[in-house]
Amino acid sequence: MIDLESLVPALSEWLPRQRWYSGQAEPTSLKIVDQEIRGDRFPILVRLLVEADAFVYQVVVGVRGRDEHPEFLRGHDQAFIADVSTHQGEAIAYDAVLDPELALVILDAVAPHETAERARLMGAEQSNSSIVYDERVILKLFRRVQRGHNPEVEVTEALAAQGFTNVPEPLATQRVGEFDVAILQPFLAGASEGWSLALTSLRDLFGMNDTSSIPIVNLDSPPPPPDPGQAGGDFSGEAARLGAMTGGMHVALAEAFGRHDADAGTWAAAIATQIEALEPGDVDPDGVDAILEQLTDLGAGAAGAAIRVHGDYHLGQVLRTDAGWFVLDFEGEPARPLDERRLPSSPLKDVAGMLRSFHYASAVARTERDEGALEDLAAAWEDRNRQAFLRGYMRVAGPGGILPPDPGCVGAVLAAFELEKAVYELGYERAFRPEWAHIPLAALRRLTEAT
Amino acid sequence: MTEETEGTEGSWFQRAVFYEVLVRGFFDSNNDGTGDIRGITERLDHIQWLGADCLWLLPFYQSPLRDGGYDISDFYSILTEYGDLADVVELVEECHRRDLRIIADLVMNHTSDAHPWFQESRQDRTNPKADWYVWSDDDTRYPDARIIFVDTERSNWSWDPVREQFYWHRFFSHQPDLNYDNPEVQRAMLDVVRFWLDVGLDGFRLDAVPYLFERDGTNGENLTETHDFLKRLRKEVDISHPGTVMLAEANQWPADVVDYYGDGDECHMCFHFPLMPRMFMAVRREQRYPITEILAQTPAIPAGCQWGIFLRNHDELTLEMVTDDERDYMYNEYAKDPRMKRNVGISRRLAPLVDNNRAVSELLHALLFSLPGSPVLYYGDEIGMGDNIYLGDRDGVRTPMQWTPDRNAGFSKADFAQLYLPPLMDPVYGYQAVNVEAMQRDPGSFLHWMQRVLQVRRQHGDVLGLGSLEILSAENPSVLAFLRQLGDRIMLCVNNLSRFAQPVELQLARLSGRMPVELFGRVPFPAIGELPYLLTLGGHGFYWFELVDAPGAMS
Repeated sequence: MIDLESLVPALSEWLPRQRWYSGQAEPTSLKIVDQEIRGDRFPILVRLLVEADAFVYQVVVGVRGRDEHPEFLRGHDQAFIADVSTHQGEAIAYDAVLDPELALVILDAVAPHETAERARLMGAEQSNSSIVYDERVILKLFRRVQRGHNPEVEVTEALAAQGFTNVPEPLATQRVGEFDVAILQPFLAGASEGWSLALTSLRDLFGMNDTSSIPIVNLDSPPPPPDPGQAGGDFSGEAARLGAMTGGMHVALAEAFGRHDADAGTWAAAIATQIEALEPGDVDPDGVDAILEQLTDLGAGAAGAAIRVHGDYHLGQVLRTDAGWFVLDFEGEPARPLDERRLPSSPLKDVAGMLRSFHYASAVARTERDEGALEDLAAAWEDRNRQAFLRGYMRVAGPGGILPPDPGCVGAVLAAFELEKAVYELGYERAFRPEWAHIPLAALRRLTEAT
Repeated sequence: MTEETEGTEGSWFQRAVFYEVLVRGFFDSNNDGTGDIRGITERLDHIQWLGADCLWLLPFYQSPLRDGGYDISDFYSILTEYGDLADVVELVEECHRRDLRIIADLVMNHTSDAHPWFQESRQDRTNPKADWYVWSDDDTRYPDARIIFVDTERSNWSWDPVREQFYWHRFFSHQPDLNYDNPEVQRAMLDVVRFWLDVGLDGFRLDAVPYLFERDGTNGENLTETHDFLKRLRKEVDISHPGTVMLAEANQWPADVVDYYGDGDECHMCFHFPLMPRMFMAVRREQRYPITEILAQTPAIPAGCQWGIFLRNHDELTLEMVTDDERDYMYNEYAKDPRMKRNVGISRRLAPLVDNNRAVSELLHALLFSLPGSPVLYYGDEIGMGDNIYLGDRDGVRTPMQWTPDRNAGFSKADFAQLYLPPLMDPVYGYQAVNVEAMQRDPGSFLHWMQRVLQVRRQHGDVLGLGSLEILSAENPSVLAFLRQLGDRIMLCVNNLSRFAQPVELQLARLSGRMPVELFGRVPFPAIGELPYLLTLGGHGFYWFELVDAPGAMS
């Protein structure tokens, strides 16, 4: 058999190269806390839970003969873990998610009743690996696991039980000891990310005057500015339906996990803490104070309910399908502890996330084109779709008993969470994409000047 | 959408391309200013060269023409201006000599009030045809039947001062509904059908079929009795004239329309109405969802049946059936979109609808010719004819066919003032700029492109006519990619709905080892492997591939 302990040093080196590893450097300690071996002939699948510096990771190791040189590893050097000796001879150990044959074994472990012919890895995420089978089902393998129920499993199961149909309902889940390690869901064939659709709409809008039938007699005077409502690729219908779906999601979440009393003061305090990270000159401090005071002043009852929320809601988390909008990925921000991710918050936190995403889309599309005079157009697009989203959202969430009873207070809560999101974005951009920092900065200025 | 019909030969209409002809507007053979049957016969060269398989004639029966000929006053004679029965016989024979089929409109539901049947029926309550129409002493029966022409009609009942009773009409008040509960009426209409099949017609487009019967407590649409009669009609024509096609006009949701196929024992074809506006919307929105949604809602149809699909026809871009907001958000989208709103209510031809953008016209036709269903072309669209919105609702798209840049567009040698409608003369779409003769001479013209694409379609008529449909996943929302498959033959169609160039990665690993061969130039593309298959498309571009076994590939 395979001497798994011999893998430990190699794994220590290998883990830090993986996107889903939470540390920066090699772990100071690493031990295998759970193991399962499937098959006794190559290819062999070894599923491990390893604990490294207090974090637990799921590693699926494929083992094949050293002379096999499988095609799927070509160009994936980071997938190679180690050379190992086995009872079948000299072998290599590698990340098994790349192995189409072992991917079927992984599926069998999660859902023995499912059969599939083909598997493909859909790209690595921050905390999981997704494998698509026959373009029909998708297996999400959690790489960074935590004790207790994974929110993805917990929330999608609860939403499906509520009859909320705009989430891919779990077909099977796998639990090892205290850890959720995998979830199998229907693959939404034919779907596109909301982000792609928004950019399609914006590119259409920005290109509206590229070819328009301007009468020759008017060549001297500039064409009238395009109107997003007149654009062929108008997104507002989609935005309104997305808003309605979001409202439905929140009502279902409230039913499933309960409505709690909102504590606007705590929210405001939490936001205030994050604002300390800003640099002088980023925002007008008076404007920030005004926003937070507005929120604090709402007091109990006026801020609406606190419910379980999505937590990381934006255009990249929603998919347009032939059956309307679907929402994905309830894991929240993986960097934060599970308990924190489960904390109830205002549903308007998710709404703020989506509205911020509209701003991002318009800003990114404008940057793509890099032509003057698109500022107003981008702003008009954002405003139009913001309004449409909110209209759709309020229509469904309004009667759900989760929003501030006084519609006038919705804006106050929303502004505070938009502020929070923009602060988070600015920190992220400064760390990883400084060239995009101007996007949240513009939002911060707009928010704080508005009050 | 189309049920797999592997192993069946299929029928001619499942592969056919239809060409809709307005008799009045096609060609005037006797120079009286109005097109005629003989004019069509004289211009069959054009239709044959283009590559259509079947003519569809709009009504040519004797009629007072208060509803474009859909108000028939004699089922057995031809409208005098169009010619006579001998002309129709000649046209049918000439079509068949050229391997073309020919079908015609037939209105089963009602007649003109000028029809002798109605004139007799209205005389009193005891005459031999007294019960051939639906008469009543009051106008309150069948309150659930909606009024279709709400702009002109206030009730489905009208008072007849001669018989002093109300008569039933689902359409205009001058179009009384026949009483299908009367076996004599059923027999009379079966006689009409048999007569025209004996003349040689290959089938009928059955106008307004859902309304044949009336029953208390119903809305009078899609009743079992109506289906039973259509099944009876089908059985009779199958026996007496095998190979006949019955094409139903039922402007309803695909899920409801499929009832008219029965179990393959009712109508052979039905129009797929909602697909058409959605094709336009998809290009306008630059994303595929308007199309894929309606395809997802389209049930499979029985083997041996076929959808009729079209981009434009003689009526306006129909949204009548799209009024159920709950079922179709598209209605709201149209109503909101100023361009669609402006264009939808009134008649537009294809070219003006797409701003005379040739790339869009080609893309829309590529979709029409590759999605499941038999495509129906409208005369003049093959040269990108325009419309005249000042002529009023329906006449705007019924102007004379533009044959040459000569007087009257080469349509007629009559005096201009004598023409039934003026030909288009505007600088963009007028006959001096847009006509068959000039486009024939120009190898790069849209007309030549149409002829070529129809050639290619004909070469793959089995797969496109009978094959299954599978929409492929593509992360890029502007790309619509699908497979058509019949047995081992597979076509891959990829369409870019955006005016900008687009990339797409298709998950085709299960077809690994096959090689896409582009169908217009037979250019082989790199073989499909395990990796996603990358394609790039120019703005509004499309590909048709045949997926063949790659040379040297292990099978």
